[in-house]
This record gives sequence, C-alpha cells and structure tokens, in this order.
Amino acid sequence: MTYDFLIIGGGITGAAIARELTKYEAKTILLEKENDAGNHATSANSAIIHSGHDPMPGSLKALLNVEGNKLYDVLEEELDIPLFKNGAFMVAHNDEEEKVLEKYLGRAKENGVPGVKILDAKTARQLEPNLVDSVSKVLSLPTTKVTYPWEVAIAMIENAMDNGLVFAKKKEVNIIYREDNVFTVKTRDGSTYKSRYVINAAGAYAARVAALSEEAVPYRITPRKGEYFVLDRRVQGFLSRTLYPTPSEKGKGILMVPQYHGNILIGPNSVYQDSPDDVSTSKAGLSSVKAGAELLTKNIPYHKNIRTFAGVRASSTHGDFYIRESLQKENFIHVAGIDSPGLSAAPAIGRYVVEAIIMKKESLKPNEAFNPIRKHVKLFDDMSESEKEEAFKMDNRYGNLVCKCERITEGDIVRHIQRNVPGDTIKGVKKRSRAGAGLCQGGYCEHQVMKLIARELGKDVTEVDYFSNHSNILKEETKVKK
Amino acid sequence: MKPYDIVIIGGGAGGVAALKSAYDESLRILLIERDKTLGGILKQCIHNGFGLHHYKEELTGPEYAERGIREIEGLGADVLVDTTVMDVNKENGRFSINVINTDKGAFTLESKAVILSSGCYERTSGAIQLPGDRPAGIMPAGSAQRYLNIDGYLVGRKVFILGSGDIGLIMARRMRLEGADVLGVAELMPHSNGLTRNIVQCLHDFDIPLYLSHTVTDIRGESVLEGITISEVDEQFNAIEGSEKHFEVDTLLLSVGLIPDIGMFDSLKFDISPKTNGAIVDHTYQTSIEGLFACGNALHVHDLVDFVTEEATKAGKQAKDYILKNKKRSHNTIDLTPKGNISYLLPQKLDMGDAFEEVTVSFRTTTNAMTGKFHVYQGDTLLFTKKAKFIVPAEMEKLTIKRDQLINKDPINIEFEVINV
Ligand SMILES: Cc1cc2nc3c(=O)[nH]c(=O)nc-3n(C[C@H](O)[C@H](O)[C@H](O)COP(=O)(O)OP(=O)(O)OC[C@H]3O[C@@H](n4cnc5c(N)ncnc54)[C@H](O)[C@@H]3O)c2cc1C
Ligand SMILES: Cc1cc2nc3c(=O)[nH]c(=O)nc-3n(C[C@H](O)[C@H](O)[C@H](O)COP(=O)(O)OP(=O)(O)OC[C@H]3O[C@@H](n4cnc5c(N)ncnc54)[C@H](O)[C@@H]3O)c2cc1C
Repeated sequence: MTYDFLIIGGGITGAAIARELTKYEAKTILLEKENDAGNHATSANSAIIHSGHDPMPGSLKALLNVEGNKLYDVLEEELDIPLFKNGAFMVAHNDEEEKVLEKYLGRAKENGVPGVKILDAKTARQLEPNLVDSVSKVLSLPTTKVTYPWEVAIAMIENAMDNGLVFAKKKEVNIIYREDNVFTVKTRDGSTYKSRYVINAAGAYAARVAALSEEAVPYRITPRKGEYFVLDRRVQGFLSRTLYPTPSEKGKGILMVPQYHGNILIGPNSVYQDSPDDVSTSKAGLSSVKAGAELLTKNIPYHKNIRTFAGVRASSTHGDFYIRESLQKENFIHVAGIDSPGLSAAPAIGRYVVEAIIMKKESLKPNEAFNPIRKHVKLFDDMSESEKEEAFKMDNRYGNLVCKCERITEGDIVRHIQRNVPGDTIKGVKKRSRAGAGLCQGGYCEHQVMKLIARELGKDVTEVDYFSNHSNILKEETKVKK
Repeated sequence: MKPYDIVIIGGGAGGVAALKSAYDESLRILLIERDKTLGGILKQCIHNGFGLHHYKEELTGPEYAERGIREIEGLGADVLVDTTVMDVNKENGRFSINVINTDKGAFTLESKAVILSSGCYERTSGAIQLPGDRPAGIMPAGSAQRYLNIDGYLVGRKVFILGSGDIGLIMARRMRLEGADVLGVAELMPHSNGLTRNIVQCLHDFDIPLYLSHTVTDIRGESVLEGITISEVDEQFNAIEGSEKHFEVDTLLLSVGLIPDIGMFDSLKFDISPKTNGAIVDHTYQTSIEGLFACGNALHVHDLVDFVTEEATKAGKQAKDYILKNKKRSHNTIDLTPKGNISYLLPQKLDMGDAFEEVTVSFRTTTNAMTGKFHVYQGDTLLFTKKAKFIVPAEMEKLTIKRDQLINKDPINIEFEVINV
C-alpha cells in the first residue's frame, strides 16, 4: 500500500499536521521512534501558549504564533484539552527596561496581538503580590495561556486516528529514497513504508532526517538546552500569571510559569550543545535559573521543588521556522527549526503545511466524515458527586486510590492504559493521568502502576518500561512464583 | 451514621499502638489502613533489630508488626483495611473524613478526634536536584526494598547508594546478599546518617566502602543508568574539583531522607514545623487543631520502631482522655525550642493547663560527639545538665523534664555541648 502522506515525528508538530491531513481524503501515517508520542521537546518545555509579542513582525513565527494562539481556543472546544487562560506580565525594573516594554508593546500590536498594555507597578503588584519590589512597570499580555503540551499532542493524534490516521511508534526512520515519484521509507526495526509525500517533523533530529533524503540540507540544527525547577502544585496561589523578564539576545530569559494543575515551572536557561538528546541538568545551569528568577518574584518556595528537568530546543541556523517543500526532492516537506514558539504555533503550523504547501500542489477532497471532537478521560477526582457514584457503580476500581499525592485511582489509570495512544510506560501513565507527578514522585504508586500496565497489557512486570525503550525497572525475579 | 469518637489514620506500628491505648469499651474507635493488611513499613523490613526496647528481644519487622496486631485483635474496635483517607476537614467541632475503597466508593465519616499515624515517604532525586541524566535505575532505597522483599524482584546488579540513612544501609547489605555488586555508599555529611549498628553490620561486615563528605555530581545513561560520578565536598558542600570517582552501575539507590506523609491532610491547615516537616504538637501530641493528634513517622521520623510504639501509645491515651474526660486545652503554654547543636525538639509546646507530672522530650543533635552534655534552660536559667555519650544525629535522644523543675513561663531550650569529638 502506498500512503499519500508519511509524517516523521510524533511531537506536537507532527501531531498537528497529521490531524489537519485527516480533514481530507488521504491515507496518512505518522511514525515516531520512541515508545510514546511527545517524548522529546513536546514534553520538556514551558507549556506556554505565547501571545505572539516576541517574534519579528513578518516572520513565519509571528504569523503562526498569533494564529496558533487563537486556534488553541478552538482546540479546547474540539479536543477537550487543558487550557489555563492566565495571561502574562513582562516585567521591567528601570527606565531602560521600560523602553524594552514599549518596544514589545509596539511589536505585539504589529503582530496583531490583542489586549496588550503597559501597567504601573502598583496595579501589577495588586494582581501579583509576589512580584519583586524593584519592578517598575509591566507589559500585560492577556492572551498568553498555558496548556498541558503532551496531552495536546496525544489528543491530536487520537482524534486523527479516529479520523483514519495510522500511528506507529517505535519506528525510527533510517532510510528514505524516492523512485517513480514514490518515497520508500524504512525504519530501524526493518519495516518499509511507501508514500507520495514525506513530511519531516523530527524536531531536534530534523536535519538528520532530512539528510537521509537530500544531500545539501539547507539548515543546521543547533540544539539549545533549557533547564527547569518544578514546584509542587501546593504552591498554587503564589503566582497567577506567567512572568517574563525583558528579553535579551539570548532569548526570552528565565520565566516563572504557573501550570494548569497548579505547579510552577521556573526556567529555562539557554545552553547551546551538540547533542539533540542530551537532556541532563547541571548544578551550574540550575543556579543560573535561580539567579534569573530573582528578577521576577520574591520568596520563591524552592523547598516545594519536586523535580528538575531539561528540554532541547530545535533551533536552526535559519532562525525562523523552516517550513517549505524541499528544493532538491519534490514532495519532501521540511518542517524544521521548530523551537519556541513551536508549541503555540503548532495548530497553525499544521494548517500552514496543508493549506499553504500541500493544497498548492494537490486538490484534496474534504473528508466528509471528519469528526473534530475528542473527549478527554475524566479523572474520578474531577467528577461531580453524582458522576462519581455512577462511575463507581460501573467500575469499582475507581475505589482503589493508587496515587495519593494527585488522587488518581485504579479506574483512572486503567482508562489511560487503554487509550487509543496507550499509556503503556510508567511515565506514559504519569503524563496522561498525573499518577506519580506529585510530592513523592511515584515513590508510593510506581510499583502499582507497573503492575497495572502489566496486567492490562498481558506483559510481565519486567517488560514494563519506565520511560524510553528498554528502560524496565525490574531486572529479574528472585523468588519462585507462588 | 453515628460519628466515631476517634478515627486513627494509618495502621502501621504507630496506628496499631495508638488503637491499643485509645481503646475503651465505651468509645467508638476506627482504624483506617489503605493497604490490605496492617503493619505498615515493617512488612518490608525483613531484617532483624526490631523490638529490643519494647519487647526486650530482637524481632524482624514483620514479627514486630504481628505482635502489635495480635494485641489489638480481640479488642472489638473497627478496622477498615484497603481503604484510603483522601482528606480530612473540621467543621463545627467535628472532623469529616473522606475515604475511598472498592467496596463502597468514596464516602465520608465523622469523628470527634483524629490521630494521624500515616507514616512517611522518601525524599526523591528531583527534590535533591541530582545533576545529570534522568534514566531508569535511580530510585529511593525503600522502593527497591519493596520490590525485593514484597514483590521478589531485583532492580539491578551493580549498585551504588547515595545517602547513609538506615534504609540505604540495610539495602546495601540486602542487595549484596541477593548477589548484586554494591560498590559504595556516599554521604554528603562528614558523619553517617544511619544507626551505628547498621554501619557496622551492613557496610563493615560486607566490606562496602562508605564515602563521607561525598555526593553524586553526575549521572549518565540514556534510557537506563550506565554510570555515576561522586566527588568529595568542602565544608560548604561544594564539590572539590579533581576528587571525582567514577562507577559503572545500573542502579543508584537514594537514602536521603524521610518526610512525614501528611500532604493529604493539607486542608486541615494545622501548624507544621519546618524542621520536622510534621505537625507542631504539645505534650499531649495534639496539633494546633483541637482534637487532632499525630504520632509515629507522620509526626517526625523515627529510627526505631520501639519509640514509635511508645509515642503512639501516649498519643492514643491522650486522645482517649480528650474524649472521655472531655479535656479542653488551655492557652497557657510554654514553648520548647532548640538551641546550640540541636535540630529540633518534640513536643514543641507544653500545655500547662494539663495536670502532667513530667514530659519526655525527643530531639536530635546536629553534630556527633563521643562525649557531651545536654543543658536544659528555662529562659536564661539553667535547669539541669545531663551527660551524654556516643551522640550521633541519626539517633533520636530523649530526656525527661519534671513539672516541678520548671520555674516560670519562659521558653524551655535544650543545648548540646560537645566535650569530646
Ligand atoms: C526548554 C524549552 C522551552 C520551550 N518553551 C516553549 C513554550 O513555552 N511555548 C512554546 O510555544 N514553545 C516552547 N518551546 C518549543 C516547543 O516545545 C517546541 O517547538 C515543540 O515542542 C516542537 O515540537 P516538535 O514536534 O517539532 O518536536 P519534538 O517534540 O521534539 O518531536 C519530534 C519527534 O520526532 C521524533 N523523531 C526524531 N527522529 C525520528 C526518526 N528518525 N524517526 C521517527 N521519529 C523521529 C522524535 O522522537 C520526537 O518525538 C520550548 C522548547 C524547549 C526545549
Ligand atoms: C526501611 C526501614 C527500615 C527500618 N529499620 C528499622 C530497624 O531496623 N529497627 C527499628 O527499630 N526500626 C526501624 N525502622 C523504623 C520503624 O520501623 C518505623 O519508623 C515504624 O515502623 C513506623 O511506623 P509508623 O506507624 O509511624 O509508619 P508506617 O509503618 O509507615 O505506617 C503508616 C501506615 O499508614 C498508612 N497510611 C498512610 N496514609 C494513609 C491514608 N491516607 N489512608 C489510610 N492509610 C494510610 C500506610 O499504608 C501505612 O500502613 C525502619 C524504617 C524503615 C522505613
């Protein structure tokens, strides 16, 4: 069988393109090398849906960020995704920084960002009492939002699957060639796929994937790491809005970002590195994050820190997003250099790839059966009293509390294991249900989650991965089975 | 449903002892445990060394638990296992306790008094900001202990341990006995954080090196742990360049601290000590909320179960008196606060309205010493001094203050004077 479209990379970019394509009559497949969707940049970022105040006017980033921001409101309706409409402040401490606020006020207006204005320190402090005393003015960016990024990617893929997408994970593309107007794409495990188009959405690996197909890749990826602290959701109330410092040449700077579930992220710094997959943290890096956050709020409750992590931005030598058909290989579409605001722009990137590139070459018929609606798996703890009663009557596993920190039951976890894109690793369950995302970081529930995954999928517990491929926690059984 | 007089949350050694002493035929008492059986953390502690104080003999953890359970079996108090307390609130002088189980789903119970004995959880790699990669193979020692002793699975074959807490030491020996290579234990402090007997029996007897003033400064491994680097630290705990040692391991166990597991009771908003991370209590083990008692590892982390039993027995008795004698707390209190070389005192308050004759104060020092003296002050006045030997921060100390030794309302301080290091 020959697909019409083969997408490489199951991050938010590939997911958005895949979903957009299922709105048309076409055979589409999405390949992902990891054991789950959204395991790279899509699960290690600030989770902000930026307003669009930052990119240079006229750039693709500006265009797609502002449009993407609006599309998230549509996705909230259609895909039932978490969206926290909390707004943001960019803070200034002195005359010079206030001039920077003016500049971004102008830029935001030029980019078409609604509602932006400059507030005095007193007004800002009434809204955010923990702002540092030295703040003199803030730029208010009310359309800034926060989402739960991997859930968005997974939701897009699940909805696309409902509408005909084929999604295959653990498929690392390592060979691409084109004969008779058809691409042959092979993966490391020996599978072969044929497709008329190849869409490269491989994030920080985009240049490597492109190099499988063309000799002179027109961009280089210059991976850029960002490190974070994660404060427990019990800090809720410390901060409502996302806080940005005034940007420098190095980027947006260290931010403080209240998350949908109440946690606060502090970061990221910006460190260039060669490797696209080095997500290690360092003492020096985290110290620089702390130093940056000192410009934002006072008395940061670091004693509530539950985790540190890092993500890698797929920045490119091109600067702007590089989204266009290859000049060397027809029907090969580069979607590269998708660093920030890639998450914000993703829904618009999906549209742009289909409407501005593919539809220029193809006349695809709309998929009349396309259903844009997907419902999220509602957690027991989020249900009303009557819903709880009803749910428990149907399935008494809702009565077994597995993760006490985030109040997740066996009934919830089983449903996340059984999803279209299943949570079949310990972190996969954590990403979907938040079991293990709390204070004790899985110390109490990890063994139970592991047993549930094994039970539901008919595996041995030694076959259950923690995160990436072949990362099982249990190595061997010591006793004879009872 | 008729309200309970006392609900005890958590059926480990603490909850079981609290039930035994709180029990009275005229009271409605309920013990709630989320696991299928009572016993708590003891069930996975299959080594011996339990009960030397309380039972005057050496038992394993499960044996110790079994004894306690047998002592409450005939009582006729209600015990609800496989049931988790989700949260607790207090309104109009009553506690409402939201629980969940697979029999009835989510429901609410009422009680006049509550005893928190929900144990503790282990500090994680994220909380201590371990640098480097975050592969599989890094876990709290107690989790590995559970996988090994309860589930029967080994988590790795080449092991390093960060932190010299007791669970880490016990697991060093346990993994070695199971055939794993245990390459060492690194401890940030210049002294061990575990009981002396565990250092001797778990490390020395098995030639497992203990690296004091060392910490893990790098972790490598893409999907599973491949290796770690440890470095010596200076007095400010900064890594000393050039002191790095590399180990190829597939497992890093963390024994870097235990924290009272009371996050589920946040909505009660009782006062919490930043030192113990548990409730602030008076000598009746009552928290800042009247009728709410705490004991065991949910109050402060204990190294010996015998002391948990002792403390929980007192807390249970106090809860019983609170109900039966309708005891009200007075606002006539004296604070107990740590002074030099002491990290915390417990209880943190004396309720002088209560007719007590003496009170046992538990505390930990911040340094170790061969010999030293504990000085007990009230205000600026020295009340008495007690000599002490072989003092280590890992071992909880106790001393008794008699009511008639007190001279006024000033705070009581305890100070540790080191004589011989
Ligand atoms: C620290 C940091 C902070 C950020 N903060 C924000 C923010 O607040 N707001 C915002 O809008 N954006 C933010 N971004 C940017 C945003 O996270 C990314 O732009 C977005 O997640 C990119 O998604 P993606 O799908 O392009 O890449 P990825 O999520 O990295 O997905 C690429 C996928 O391709 C797969 N792949 C690679 N090679 C192959 C192969 N050969 N075969 C098969 N599959 C392959 C990978 O496994 C991966 O899953 C941030 C990024 C970082 C790193
Ligand atoms: C690994 C390890 C090794 C030790 N080794 C020794 C030793 O060698 N010698 C020695 O004397 N002491 C030792 N100790 C110390 C001693 O055993 C413990 O301090 C003691 O058993 C703790 O008792 P506890 O009742 O306070 O807590 P736990 O035993 O932890 O009991 C708490 C109980 O509460 C339940 N619970 C918690 N939250 C809820 C909720 N919301 N709803 C319902 N139930 C809940 C839990 O399931 C658990 O059963 C060791 C401790 C550990 C952890």
